[in-house]
Amino acid sequence: MPDRPLIETVDLVKTYRVGSSTVKALDHFSIDIEEGEMVAIMGPSGSGKTSLLNLIGALDRPDSGTVRVKNVEIDRLGEEQRARFRKHNIGFIFQFFNLIPSLTAIENVLVPIMFEKEKPTRKAADLLERVGLGDRFDHLPGMLSGGERQRVAIARALINDPLIILADEPTGNIDSETAREIVSLFKELNDEGKTLVLATHDRLVAGRAKVMVKIRDGRMVRGKAHSRDGMMSLSPKEGGGREK
Amino acid sequence: MSDRRPSFNSATYALSHLRHDLFRSTTIVITLGLTIAFILLTSSLLFGLVNEISGTDEKASILEGRIPGSLSMFEEFRLTGNELSEDSKSALVNYLLVTSTIVFAVALFIMFNTMSIAVQERRSEIGVLRSVGFSSKEVMKIFLTEGAVIGTISFLGALFLGTPFIVNLAAYLIDRGESGIFFVQPVIPLQLVVIIGALTITLTVSTTYLAIRKNLGVDPVEMLRPSG
Ligand SMILES: Nc1ncnc2c1ncn2[C@@H]1O[C@H](COP(=O)(O)OP(=O)(O)O)[C@@H](O)[C@H]1O
Ligand SMILES: [Mg+2]
Repeated sequence: MPDRPLIETVDLVKTYRVGSSTVKALDHFSIDIEEGEMVAIMGPSGSGKTSLLNLIGALDRPDSGTVRVKNVEIDRLGEEQRARFRKHNIGFIFQFFNLIPSLTAIENVLVPIMFEKEKPTRKAADLLERVGLGDRFDHLPGMLSGGERQRVAIARALINDPLIILADEPTGNIDSETAREIVSLFKELNDEGKTLVLATHDRLVAGRAKVMVKIRDGRMVRGKAHSRDGMMSLSPKEGGGREK
Repeated sequence: MSDRRPSFNSATYALSHLRHDLFRSTTIVITLGLTIAFILLTSSLLFGLVNEISGTDEKASILEGRIPGSLSMFEEFRLTGNELSEDSKSALVNYLLVTSTIVFAVALFIMFNTMSIAVQERRSEIGVLRSVGFSSKEVMKIFLTEGAVIGTISFLGALFLGTPFIVNLAAYLIDRGESGIFFVQPVIPLQLVVIIGALTITLTVSTTYLAIRKNLGVDPVEMLRPSG
């Protein structure tokens, strides 16, 4: 069997029912993402970026089509199996940080492993130090700036050593200076071998990605590779006529 | 230094949340605590009566002097002979059970409502827990632990703050003046304390379960969507 890409979606269709009408968020969307890539998904608000990340991250299931991550067809997994898959493979970063407001920075980082027998508090502390929050361990999210909250969220996303990091508009709510730092952090993680998929309409963020994909109305408008080593693994696969 | 911090688990999670949502947690804890204190108080007095009243008219009238209306109440229990009849004892126990059940039910209903509203506000938190890979059982465990922590705090508070109150009330009821005899010496059997404690925690955990149940099946994506 030939090596499959780390992430492979085929003909994804995702619709939402709102009252009696339906909204098509993804319209036969197909993309391959190789291990170690850093991909920016760009598109206007409502184009389907979040829907795509939710499917890749096993948070949601498509109406039709396939999502294969690490050779697992995650669209076939049940709710609880997808939760376990997320725990070990995916680190999520959200636009609104999604920290737990009652927990301190370090507790937020420890949340994903709170039911494990081994709780490497040291590792959580190291991660916070790494994202530049060595002196903010016991701060509640409410006492942190947007950029600091996002860095806590990044540390939390890293605590389980996921192979894949999915960031949904990670700089949407922070100033451009902090955004620059966060993008550098993403770049660093990518250099260490993590696969990153970033949904964004921030050119600064997209510019640092190896690969840029444009999405509109749930369809890929443009797939563009601009990496130095000429990695052209990204293949926009229009319309769904794809052999298996 | 950070290696030595206490380990982070669902109990510390619950405590952090209760501290953060202080107004709501205080409301629940005070309601429950007063209820448990009331139950401890009534039962300790009633157990005391069963133990100590020898049933003379003299004592009954002194009691009436202390607690107006008590005479008619005890007449129902037919305090006539030297011993409380079996009927009277079971009447006392029934009285205790009925009042305790009613106040407990009211307190739990208040807790259920408060928790239900709190859970609605914490839907995105549930979404976050799901997104980092918790099973619905693990999310449930976090919330049930919180229910158990609330129950424990309320119970211990009622026990340690309520007991001195009971002792003081007893001192008032003890007639040293005219007859020099104990009227009602409150009795709190250890068994009763254990039963009330276990009951409190079981019921607070069940109430929490009822309050959260509906929200666990909901799609994590729905829960994470900002502003619905
Ligand atoms: N849970 C939902 N219910 C109804 N409509 C939704 C839901 N999630 C997304 N949509 C709709 O689907 C489309 C794509 O949304 P989304 O994936 O969030 O796009 P983006 O992240 O690019 O803004 C939008 O029209 C949006 O309104
Ligand atoms: Mg979005």
